[in-house]
Amino acid sequence: MPATLRLTASLKKMLNLQDEYPAEVGESVRAALIRVGIKPELVAMVSVNGTMETKDYVIKDEDVVRLLAVIGGG
Amino acid sequence: MRLYVDPAKCSGCNACRVACSLNLFNENNPKKAALVIEPRFPEPGVYNVKVCTQCGDCAAVCPTEAIKKDERGAYYVVFDECNLCEACVPECPEGVMFVRAELAPTAWKCDLCGDCVAACGTSALWIAETEPAA
Amino acid sequence: MNGYGGSILRVNLTEGKVSKETTPSDVARDFIGGRGFGIYFLLKEVPKGADPLGPENKLIISSGPISGMLIPGGGKCDWTTKSPLTGGYASASMGGHFTAEMRYAGLDSIILEGISPKPVYLLIDNDKIEVRDAADLWGRNTFEVEKHFKEKLGEEFQVAVIGPGGENLVPYACINHDYGRQAGRGGVGAVMGVKKVKAIVVHGTKSVPVADMTAYKQAGMALYKACKDAEGLKDWTRYGTTIVVSWCDEVGALPTRNFSAGSFEDGKNLYGPVMREKIVITDKGCFGCPCPCGKYSRNKKYNNYVEGPEYETIGLMGSNLGIADIEAVAHANLLCDDLGIDTISTGNVIAWAMECYEKGLLTKKETDGLDLKFGNAEAAFELIGKIARREGLGAMLAEGVKRAAEKVGKGSEKFAIHVKGMEQSGYATHNATAMLLAYMTCDVGAHHNRSWAITYDLQVGREKVVPEKVARVIWLQNFRPMFDVLGGCRLQWVELGIDRDLYVPALEAITGIHRTWEDLDKVGERIWNLTRMFWIRENEGFGRAWDMPSPRFYEEAPTSGATKGQITKLEDVNRLLDMYYEQRGWDANGLPTAEKIDALGLRTVVG
Repeated sequence: MPATLRLTASLKKMLNLQDEYPAEVGESVRAALIRVGIKPELVAMVSVNGTMETKDYVIKDEDVVRLLAVIGGG
Repeated sequence: MRLYVDPAKCSGCNACRVACSLNLFNENNPKKAALVIEPRFPEPGVYNVKVCTQCGDCAAVCPTEAIKKDERGAYYVVFDECNLCEACVPECPEGVMFVRAELAPTAWKCDLCGDCVAACGTSALWIAETEPAA
Repeated sequence: MNGYGGSILRVNLTEGKVSKETTPSDVARDFIGGRGFGIYFLLKEVPKGADPLGPENKLIISSGPISGMLIPGGGKCDWTTKSPLTGGYASASMGGHFTAEMRYAGLDSIILEGISPKPVYLLIDNDKIEVRDAADLWGRNTFEVEKHFKEKLGEEFQVAVIGPGGENLVPYACINHDYGRQAGRGGVGAVMGVKKVKAIVVHGTKSVPVADMTAYKQAGMALYKACKDAEGLKDWTRYGTTIVVSWCDEVGALPTRNFSAGSFEDGKNLYGPVMREKIVITDKGCFGCPCPCGKYSRNKKYNNYVEGPEYETIGLMGSNLGIADIEAVAHANLLCDDLGIDTISTGNVIAWAMECYEKGLLTKKETDGLDLKFGNAEAAFELIGKIARREGLGAMLAEGVKRAAEKVGKGSEKFAIHVKGMEQSGYATHNATAMLLAYMTCDVGAHHNRSWAITYDLQVGREKVVPEKVARVIWLQNFRPMFDVLGGCRLQWVELGIDRDLYVPALEAITGIHRTWEDLDKVGERIWNLTRMFWIRENEGFGRAWDMPSPRFYEEAPTSGATKGQITKLEDVNRLLDMYYEQRGWDANGLPTAEKIDALGLRTVVG
């Protein structure tokens, strides 16, 4: 199964994007964001298969990379 | 079939108990729920949760046969047939057989409606086939 | 009345008497509950010029229509009073289970009036309501008093308690509940303390009436389903608000060394995953919440338990103090909770004191021998205790950062980070103009709860000063605190991104009154203007000057971190205010015009 980027509702709505995009194995999360058209600094949290990672994380096969934007804050 | 719980996932929110009271009594009153959440704070800092295992020990001792079994194997109280004798309460191994006369004129227990599972945000509750006793 | 507990409880502490009245249906219709009831009673019943620590001030505690219900996040009550910290409007939101239990006891509001001649606690057990002697509880820490009541009365009782901070009238004393939830800001704990109320314990077994039971169950379950289906639910639950520590560090919003920068070079040690691994044991939540943000932790280094630290405390008592050890921050959190003082104000004041010390404006003699350098966690721990007990340097710091800076002078006022006398909370705003405006115009002082706009700043362009940013701040200020009015939490919408329209059928099924979000935002706008009117009434000469931020945000660009070299210009600060007043329908000095007051139908409330 290929790796995927999944956007949370807030991020999707904010940038008018899809639920999900395919991710390329071997690219960093940061590079994937730029490729899809998301300014990296808008993404508050990256979780890979449920664990928080940085944007420098290099995507592996079958990874589910969830992207969270904080539009509402605390 | 019965309800299962992983207490480590319980956050103490009580949504399950609100849903339960709405199902059993059509009232918003979690004190009339059929599962128990025991906060253990400040130490060790966890929630202990007790749920009905549908063992049937309550039904076995009910003198008015007010506790019946449905097609899924779930035991439920027919409110009109309960005489508040409380014979069932000490029989329950989990402590989830309830009699509080000031709240309701009947005993009550889990009828496996599943609303608690639907309301639980941390997925601490689920319904599954009863595992055979060890 | 459908959707309500039914009664307002008045506690006359001067005479030790209690009385109940039926919740007025027109007040429920127009003000809905929670913070709405708070401002209604505050304006109506606290006379102009009342001393916040005098007998004429009142402490108004209100639940709302979704409190204690099958509605995600129905676990908050509002505590409103005239603030001893700012002299203006104070409204603190407390989570946990207290609000639900109030409702089951049939109460919509509890109003504490007058001053008790001796320490008391208020016992509410359904219709049995008594003011009881609390002599043997006075002076004790909050955890032990809550434990005492839980053991004596049973787990079904919910407890709200003040600590030595409130008893000693620290103007940023808080009220504690459920071993980790607070009515935190603005000094609500000091008002409870001057009234000599040590605790309120509540228990109720009544059912809350609703207008349409079937529709209510359906709408409530739909809300829970939306939360459970939300893409980020598990991630949010895992980390709570600590989820943004790394991001704030990355974008220059993490307050560092008294807000001198927005990134902390040792910030990595404070990030969410580090904390989760080191100390977290339970995801602990408020009533009815599907996404528990509380991170109940076992602090191995200091051998104690604390709920937290959450983002604000990590910011204000971690990076803001130059402390990189998450367990030290957790310990500071516990000390504040147990003594009953707000972690945000306390962290902010201590940071100011550290900067004074490092600049030689406070000598070692004046710091009681403490080597009060940034990073000295042990000194911070000691200072927390001194503040709560008003001892030594703590006596001056207990007055809040604005008054302390006025006392010390020598330019220290320039780095007292506050607005209207309330210490700024956890976002550095050197170059994030929407967030800066949010802090300037928040109705309780420099707090982030009303309007949080940092991502929007980054989306539009952080330094831009444009009408859309102002419109965004205003929309958030009208809308976000509506959750405080409803008696619930905004984080299900804020963090999980669920559709806010899902609340509409739920609210109608509960109360029987149909309200769209357009209707609710209008109520929010009315309340916003009323709280502004309260500030004007209570503060001679109130106006634009009170909305100005700390000079640090337009004079001192950070020398490191993500916002190195970036600062907002003073002329832009003023342009933001000009646009804000215009869009709000206020005059150039920030006062609601007569037209605005009439347009909102507020003439009957404010006269």
